[in-house]
Amino acid sequence: MTAAPTVFPQLTLAHRATLAESADGWAEVAAAARPADRDAAERGIRAAYRAAGLAEPGKILWYASPLAAAVAATVVSGAFKPQELAALRLPVRAPMASRAGASVRDRIRSASWERARADAVALLGHTGWAQAWGEIAERLWDPTTSLSARIRDGIEEAVLSATGTDRGPARRGTVTPTAPVAREARAATLDALGGQHDAAWLAAFDGLRRCFPRLDASPSAAALDAVAEVARSAGWWWPYENVVLVAERPTVLHRDESARLHNGEGAALAFPDGFALHAWRGMPVPADFVTTLGPAGGALNAQRIRDEDNAELRRVMLEIYGYDRYLAEVGARPLHRDETGVLWRIELPGDEPIVMVEVLNSTPEPDGSVRVYWLRVPPTTRTARAGVAWTFGLTEQEYRPARET
Amino acid sequence: MYRQGDILLLPVDEGAVPVGVTGLPAKPRDGRGRIVLALGEVTGHAHAVVGAGTLFLDPEPTTIGHLKIDAPTRLVHEEHATISLPKGWYKVVRQREYIPGAVRIIAD
Repeated sequence: MTAAPTVFPQLTLAHRATLAESADGWAEVAAAARPADRDAAERGIRAAYRAAGLAEPGKILWYASPLAAAVAATVVSGAFKPQELAALRLPVRAPMASRAGASVRDRIRSASWERARADAVALLGHTGWAQAWGEIAERLWDPTTSLSARIRDGIEEAVLSATGTDRGPARRGTVTPTAPVAREARAATLDALGGQHDAAWLAAFDGLRRCFPRLDASPSAAALDAVAEVARSAGWWWPYENVVLVAERPTVLHRDESARLHNGEGAALAFPDGFALHAWRGMPVPADFVTTLGPAGGALNAQRIRDEDNAELRRVMLEIYGYDRYLAEVGARPLHRDETGVLWRIELPGDEPIVMVEVLNSTPEPDGSVRVYWLRVPPTTRTARAGVAWTFGLTEQEYRPARET
Repeated sequence: MYRQGDILLLPVDEGAVPVGVTGLPAKPRDGRGRIVLALGEVTGHAHAVVGAGTLFLDPEPTTIGHLKIDAPTRLVHEEHATISLPKGWYKVVRQREYIPGAVRIIAD
């Protein structure tokens, strides 16, 4: 005899709207660039330990950036002694491994995330859970995971470029001592909870609990509330048996329309101790790279752009300099021209050619001028219309707008 | 077909609307009662439909979904001229740009 199939509640429009609202609220948490609320974060941390069945930590230590906290975590894990790090001029205020105890990240994660997911699946079925998660994830998962990945890269690079010794960079011929520390610091980031960057999964459970209040009765609810309170108040945090390391939130966060790190006038992400990431439309660039190109790329010319070996930096230089200026300077001739726009091609040594359509914005600006913009299209494109059509997933024959604004 | 900035509306015959579209989740209206087809994440500027209709959301991010307009209405945006939309079905597509190794969605 088979049991009657379980009937799961369907997600209604109202549920979806509630999930979207939750995603909006948590998107703000994820992007918060202001000092941590330390009291609230510490309250949340203690509650998270209790909810996971652990004794409250004896000490909660604050760090001015995830870099500082990750370096401290290499001491807590026993990988390095403070005096070894002092030689690198890295921040080293950290308890010894013997005092801190083992990492309890997995205990706290499984008390919150894994138990809450099991509750959600029990209530909604695998399909319903996947649908609810999809509502949130599209908005929050990529921005938070890609930002976290960039911070991890940044931590590794910052340690690698640490000065070596107090007397200056490591002497020639000696192996730089920073590489193993950089590797360990990066590995240590995997022992952290994300704080504000845990927004995606916290938003999913928060939204589901608003949709289905009976989830509040689950034993996972207290653990979720605790982790959520930390997330609303602080950055990454490293829970150990007796000690917790907590990182400050950034003070600066600049992103472009596509939520990629982007700032032409300074750091795109910066923490109170100066740990910072620089980026142009998501592409990592050295700290002074954009400013050395001069205002509006004034220090650039076509030769300097062509001489840049790094394809990504060359792309950034081209965008800042302006494709139109570059094309004029190298005397480029359009590949094709029709009523949709003009097709241009830039040959680059060691990289695939850049093919772009130059399009006029159909609605004039308030001052009567018309904004020109450039869309990069596949290098195989042969006509302007085919290029514009490609940007909408259509063929040249299919693209026939009756009205454009 | 109609283009407003980075959004293209392709008319679709009712008979050619893919089976199952009406079973897809419909986009809830925003606080001002509009159906927002696409939103600039930072500017908050929106391509939005004001009248009677429904946007059935595609799981695919580049094709936003299928829009059913029940009575002639308007497509508005803060920076683009308004477009009159006849009654009918439309496939709503967002403009993308070629990046080596990936494709990026435009947001204006």
